[in-house]
Amino acid sequence: MVRFLGLRLARALLTLVLVVTFAFIVLRLSGDPALLIMSADAPPEAIAAFRQAWGLDDPVWQQYLRYFTAIFRGDLGQSMRDGRPAIELVAERVPATLALTLPALAMKIGLGIPAGIYAALHRNSFADRAVMLLAVAGFTVPSFVLGLLLVLVFAVQLGWLPSGGQDSWRHAILPVLTLGIGGAAVLARFTRSAMLEVLGQPYMRTALAKGVPWHVAVRRHALPNAAIPTVTIVGFMVGSLLAGAVVVESVFSWPGVGRLLVVAVANRDLAVVQCILLLVATTMVSANLIVDLLYGALDPRLRAQAKGANG
Amino acid sequence: MALLARRALLGASGALALPQLAVGQPARPSITIAVQKISNSNSLEMLREQSNVGGRIFYSYAEPLIDTDWTGDLSLRPGLATAWRRIDDRTLDLTLRDGVRFHDGRMMTAEDVAHSFGPRMWGREGSPRNPPPEAVAVARRSFPGFERIEIVDARTVRFVNRTPDVTLEGKLSRSLATIHSATAYDAVANWNEWSRKPVGTGPYRVAEFRADHHLLLEAHDDYWGGRPPLSRIRFLEVPEVAARIAMLQSGECEFACDIPPDQIVEVERNPRHEVVGGLISNNRMITFDRNHAVLANPLVRRALTHSIDRETIVQALWAGRARVPAGLQFEFFGDMFIRDWTVPEFDLTEARRLLRQANYRGEPIPYRVLNNYYTAQVPTAQILVETWRQAGLNVQIEMRENWSQIRERTPNRALRDWSNGASFGDPVSQTPQNYGRDGIAWTDNEWRNEEFGTLSALLETSTDMAQRRRAWVRMLAIAEREDPAWTVLHQTANFTGKRKDIHWKAAQAFVMDFRARNWGA
Repeated sequence: MVRFLGLRLARALLTLVLVVTFAFIVLRLSGDPALLIMSADAPPEAIAAFRQAWGLDDPVWQQYLRYFTAIFRGDLGQSMRDGRPAIELVAERVPATLALTLPALAMKIGLGIPAGIYAALHRNSFADRAVMLLAVAGFTVPSFVLGLLLVLVFAVQLGWLPSGGQDSWRHAILPVLTLGIGGAAVLARFTRSAMLEVLGQPYMRTALAKGVPWHVAVRRHALPNAAIPTVTIVGFMVGSLLAGAVVVESVFSWPGVGRLLVVAVANRDLAVVQCILLLVATTMVSANLIVDLLYGALDPRLRAQAKGANG
Repeated sequence: MALLARRALLGASGALALPQLAVGQPARPSITIAVQKISNSNSLEMLREQSNVGGRIFYSYAEPLIDTDWTGDLSLRPGLATAWRRIDDRTLDLTLRDGVRFHDGRMMTAEDVAHSFGPRMWGREGSPRNPPPEAVAVARRSFPGFERIEIVDARTVRFVNRTPDVTLEGKLSRSLATIHSATAYDAVANWNEWSRKPVGTGPYRVAEFRADHHLLLEAHDDYWGGRPPLSRIRFLEVPEVAARIAMLQSGECEFACDIPPDQIVEVERNPRHEVVGGLISNNRMITFDRNHAVLANPLVRRALTHSIDRETIVQALWAGRARVPAGLQFEFFGDMFIRDWTVPEFDLTEARRLLRQANYRGEPIPYRVLNNYYTAQVPTAQILVETWRQAGLNVQIEMRENWSQIRERTPNRALRDWSNGASFGDPVSQTPQNYGRDGIAWTDNEWRNEEFGTLSALLETSTDMAQRRRAWVRMLAIAEREDPAWTVLHQTANFTGKRKDIHWKAAQAFVMDFRARNWGA
């Protein structure tokens, strides 16, 4: 187990290093932060002063080395646009994003998984077709379009909910719905296909032939086996809690991490982008690690395999 | 204990008196304005935020000594200075207005003015509040000849320039020349703190600023120009145009800014809403890199300028609400406006003749374009390429992501989009910093013309108005005809969707004025 965790952690660290390096190279080679932050009409001497102040005249490899060594000292740098520490900027946006993505995640799981199970258990029925129709519609409509559609109906036509901003809990309803509907649709489809595959397995036939009641067979044999692919998708959703609302935050003027990322990338505000990427990558890697551990808990065969390999 | 009780009683009676005062005043509305962006740099200090979006917000909380008639003819008028007098070509005396109170409650003094053009602008040895170097550089460019500011007496300040400058009054009307409380400035810990809550004299004070989300302004009831008509103004950042329009339609905002021309009909479909605004002091143009192998020949550049159907662009993409100006200039330049000047005529025959003369054989000419950074930028580029093709020019659009990629110095840099605006009524406010010897095109090695450079310097320093006018005529002839540096496409327009029952006039700039003189509901 220790070796397993050690390997996973080493791989996670390597992933983080690669993410940071890749982002640095792409961002630094595709735009000059001085020109983007100061605007195209800024006087040349202002651009020059900005470049000098932030060390942008140094060779790129020196800037990279400086940035990387600073990370190991726990210094994630300062925003060139804002002058404040990048970590401070990002940290103050995290609660806003989680205020959308956590309820949306609950909605995805609470709606998507039961709908998928129900559809699989009533395969080819009207309910199955209706669930799948909604699911296909839910995940094929881009969140940008869905968001505007909800605004048009609930804010403009009915006047029930606000269309944008972050003044009260009511302002979160439409963005949460936008995020939740798409995710629930994805989960419903995955859960349904995982359940259908499991329901056709020989061990299900055996259990039923032995006289195990249908609902018990489903609960004891089908659900745990179908959970593995579903857990993988949920893990991915947990991993994208921080950066999964980029488009929705823009549509609903929600000042979260996603909006900050868009602005920071557009301005090549490197420290902020790197800080967000580190945070997102860490969340993603942690979620993957948890999913890996859950596999073992869910499937005794995997535990046995691991023991066999170790012993 | 008895003292405490008396104080409590006094406090309570004071509190009881407050509602009576409020009853005496009519209730004021609060408004929300949906904007695409509040501030590019997350700063409310215009020394740092030199942008169109910054121009929209600053006028509510800060004011310069010399004001501009934004909703009128853009002429200069008294602001925090009631009068100004030329002592000589380099010196200007300004009389300060009495009874101007800052948002921190202090009265404006000559010391505040000296501070605003002193430590606030240039910094002070060892101060933690010094502006960042790029802000100082912007100030230096805006006041290139600044020598010192003197306090003549309690109500008079004197600007002294190193060099003669007939445009000093105009420069003092710019957004970065606003006056701020020296005491409030010296009370903050650092410049970043100041730049997020500057203390000025405008009709509204900064109450709260959350970068990338909203800016909340509150009425400054001691405003020298009279009680502000609004209790609160909230600028809310809504990046998507569809979402801004939806907010207006749902009644969540009273104003929706940056409405593209093709959405005007959509906004006005609702009888409660209208779109206001129109031409602003900004021109859209194409700028040429004369180092490009094909464009090195001015005949090719001239052919490009003659094969642009500007009227079609204005009608098709701006619904006729923009216009083709008289070259890179505006009527509010006054005596410096060259009335009989025109942009090159749309004449494909002449363009073909010039190309034959240039021995042009269809070599590709790259045209770097951003994805609608400017309103209707991509469709404009597509129309241009089509008429250029008709003239025989092989122009190829190359989409780029940002300005850095647009301006990247490579052998294939040839054509790019740009816009030039004028912040006060003289060509000095737009051309030297863009095309003069220290200008962007020059230092970027995009376009250089020695005669133009000399004339540009003369335009900045000469006090002989006839000579300045002759210089400007010649500069236009060089840069728009003989050795084209740019060619103007059209004057830009800016549109704001609003509630029809609010009587409010849009400015001929991005500036928004919410003083009592421009409000009625």
